[in-house]
Amino acid sequence: MSKVVEISPTTRHEGHTKLVLKVNDEGIIERGDWLSLTPVRGIEKLAIGKSMHQVPKISSRVCGICPIAHTLAGCEAMEASIGCEIPEDAYLLRLILQCANRLHSHALHNILSLPDMYLPGTDVKINPFTPEEPVRTVALRIQRLREIAQTIGEIVGGEAIHPSNPRVGGMYTNITPRAKAKIYDLAKEGVPLMHAHMDLMIAIFKNWDARPTAANASGVEVEKTEKFGFHDQGYMAAAPLYASSSLDLDPQWSPERWTEVRPWDWYMGEMEIDLEDPSYPFGGTTKAGAKAWPQMEACTGVPLYDGAPVEVGPRARLAKYRDYDRKGAMGLQIARQMEFPDTLYAMIEAVDALDTSGSVLADEIPCGDGTLGWCANEAPRGCDVHLAKVKDNKVQWYSLLVPTTWNFPTCSRALEGAPWQLAEVIVRAYDPCVSCATHMLVVDEEKKVVAQKLIQ
Amino acid sequence: MVLGNYKSAVAARSTDKGILSASQDGGIVTQLFAFALDEGIIDGAIVAGQGAEPWMPEPVVATTRAELFAARGTRYTISPNMALIKEATRSYGLDKVGIVGTPCQMQGLRKAQLYPIGMRDVPDKIALAIGIFCMENFPYQGLETMVEDHCTVKMESAVKMDIGKGKFSVYTERGGLSQIPLKLTHKYEQPGCHVCLDYVSNLADVSTGSVGTPDGWSTVFVRTKVGDSVWARAVDAGCFETKPIEDVKPGLELVTKLATDKITKNQKTVEARASFGVKADGSGKALRNPYL
Repeated sequence: MSKVVEISPTTRHEGHTKLVLKVNDEGIIERGDWLSLTPVRGIEKLAIGKSMHQVPKISSRVCGICPIAHTLAGCEAMEASIGCEIPEDAYLLRLILQCANRLHSHALHNILSLPDMYLPGTDVKINPFTPEEPVRTVALRIQRLREIAQTIGEIVGGEAIHPSNPRVGGMYTNITPRAKAKIYDLAKEGVPLMHAHMDLMIAIFKNWDARPTAANASGVEVEKTEKFGFHDQGYMAAAPLYASSSLDLDPQWSPERWTEVRPWDWYMGEMEIDLEDPSYPFGGTTKAGAKAWPQMEACTGVPLYDGAPVEVGPRARLAKYRDYDRKGAMGLQIARQMEFPDTLYAMIEAVDALDTSGSVLADEIPCGDGTLGWCANEAPRGCDVHLAKVKDNKVQWYSLLVPTTWNFPTCSRALEGAPWQLAEVIVRAYDPCVSCATHMLVVDEEKKVVAQKLIQ
Repeated sequence: MVLGNYKSAVAARSTDKGILSASQDGGIVTQLFAFALDEGIIDGAIVAGQGAEPWMPEPVVATTRAELFAARGTRYTISPNMALIKEATRSYGLDKVGIVGTPCQMQGLRKAQLYPIGMRDVPDKIALAIGIFCMENFPYQGLETMVEDHCTVKMESAVKMDIGKGKFSVYTERGGLSQIPLKLTHKYEQPGCHVCLDYVSNLADVSTGSVGTPDGWSTVFVRTKVGDSVWARAVDAGCFETKPIEDVKPGLELVTKLATDKITKNQKTVEARASFGVKADGSGKALRNPYL
C-alpha cells in the first residue's frame, strides 16, 4: 500500500519547490512529482509592446544566477526575429560572458551539493563552511573561481549580475587592451584551480555513487538503490558551449518539435498526506492529514520535445556532442564538473581572438516584421530558449522556455525507484533554478488560454 | 572649518618643465597622477580630455603619461568625470582608479563609495581622488559667449583661460590677452553651482588650486591618509618643489576669504530653496539642505 509524503520546501537550490512522493512500504518512490511554487513574475506578458532593446534587459531580471544567459538569449532572439547579424568581436565578447557565467554557476552549485557528499574514503559529511582542512581549501578555491568568473563578467558585461553591455545588434562597447590582458591573466590563474577542483569533485561524486548507503542531513542512513536517479527520457541540447538560433544555417533546435502541456494534465491530483517524518531536515516533512494537490499547485508549464519530457543541462550537452553516457543523479553531477575546462579554455581562445579596436555593433539593425525568431542559449543549467516576434522595434510576442522548466518533468521521473529520504539529492543534481521556470498561462493549439482555472 | 579637514597645506609646483609648460598653475594634478601611474598606485586616471569642440572637455581614462599630458590645464566648463567611474572598472579593466574633479564631483564620488547603489565593486577601486578649488562652473555655451562675444576671441584661437584677481582672462596663440571683469561672467554660471558650500574639495584625498599662492604655484591641501602617503612619496621622489604655505603671499588668508565668500553667498540660495514649492497641504516643501 503506497503512502504519500511531502517535502516542502526543498532546500539548497534557487527558488521554491516541493516534492510530493508516493512511496511503497520500503520507502521507495513509486511516483514523484517535483513542482515549482515560485510566484509568477509575468516577464513574458510584461515584454509585449516594449522596445526590443528593453526586453532582454527585463528578461535578465528573471534571475540573478544566470542573467547572462537570459540577456544573451533575449538579445539573440530579437536579432533572430529582425534578421540582424552581429560583428565577430561582439560574438567573442558574448562568448567570454557565456563562459564566465557557466564557470561561476557550476562552482556555486558545488557549494550546494557538497553537504550531501562524503569526504572520499571516510564517513564524514562535507560542510563547505567549516574552517577545517581539507574542506577549507576547497571552499576557498570555489570562491576564487567564482570571483574570477564574476570579475570577467563584470569587465565584459559591465555588471557581474544583469550585464548591461550586451544589446540587440551586438555590444555597447568593446573592451580595452588592458582589460583584455586582465581577462587573460584571470583565466590563466583559473586553469590550475579549475583542474584541481574538477578532479576532486568528480572523485567526491563517484565515491558517493559507489556507497551502498547514504544519509541526508538528519543523519539517518538509508540503503541506496542501484539505479539511483535514472530516467529513460531523452536529452536536448542546442550547442556544446554557446547557442544556436533560427539565424543559423543548421539550427540545432526546432520550435515545431516543442509542445506544452498544462500542469493540470500532467501532475498528480489531490491527495492526503499519510506519511510524515518529523526528523527530516529541517523541521520535518509536511504533517500527515494535510492535503497536496500538485496539478493545481504547480506553476510551470510542462514543455515536451517530440511529445516527451527531455533532460537539458550538462549531461544533455555532453551526451549529444561528446557521447557521454553515465546515467543517474551522479552521472549528471559528474558531467557538470567535466564542463569546467571548456569554460576557461574557450574563454582564453576567445580573448586571444578578440580585436579590441574592432566594431562590436552591427552597421544596420532592422526594425523587424513580426517574424518568429528564437535563440537556444546553453545556460549553465541547460538549454534556455527565448522566442520572440518583433515588429517595428516593438516586441509582439515573447516566450521563455528555460532549463529548469524542461527538467521538472524529467527529474520527476528520475525520482522513481529511489529512497524518498534521498529524493532531494536527485533534485539537486539538476542544479534547479526555479524562479525563471515559473509560468502560469498555458496556451493550446488554437492559441486560447486554457489554464484560466488556475488563476481564478 | 571652511577649508575642511586637512593634514597639511603647502605651496607647490611640479619640477617637470614639460608639465609646467602647459599646466594651469603648478601642474599638481598632472604631476601627482603621473607619479602615481609610474609607481603603480593607480592603473589609470579619469581626467578631462579634449572633447569634440575647442575647449570642450570630455572625460577620458588616461593610462599613460602622454594621455595625462594631453589633458593638462583648466577648462572652465563641465567635464562629467564621474560618468566614467564605473566604466573605468569595467571595460577599461582598472583595479586602482584615480579621479580628478570639482568639489561636487568629490561629493558624488564619496557618496557612491558610501552607498554604492549601482556601483558594485567600484568603491574599493578608488585609489586616489584629487579635488580642485571651484567657485562656480559654466555651461559650454556660456563659456563660448564669454570668450567669443565678451572677450572677442575665437575659441580655437585661445591657448589659455584663467580666472584670477577679479578678472576672466583669455590668452591667444598670437600672444594677445583679452580680459573682462569677473562680474560680467556671473550670469553665465550654472544655477546648480549656487547651492554648493564647498570651495576647496573637502572630501578629496588631495585638493589643489591656484588661490593663495603666487603665479605658477598652487596651494595644496593634503587631507586623507591615502593623500598623505601619496603626496609624501611624490615629494620624496623630487616631483614637487614646495614652500611652507605661511611663507607665500597671499597665503591661506585669501583661500579662507574666498571659501567663506562662497559659503556665505550660496547659503542664501540654499535657504531660499528651502521655501521652494508647496506641499499638498499648503506648507512649504522645504527642499532638504544637502549639508545637514
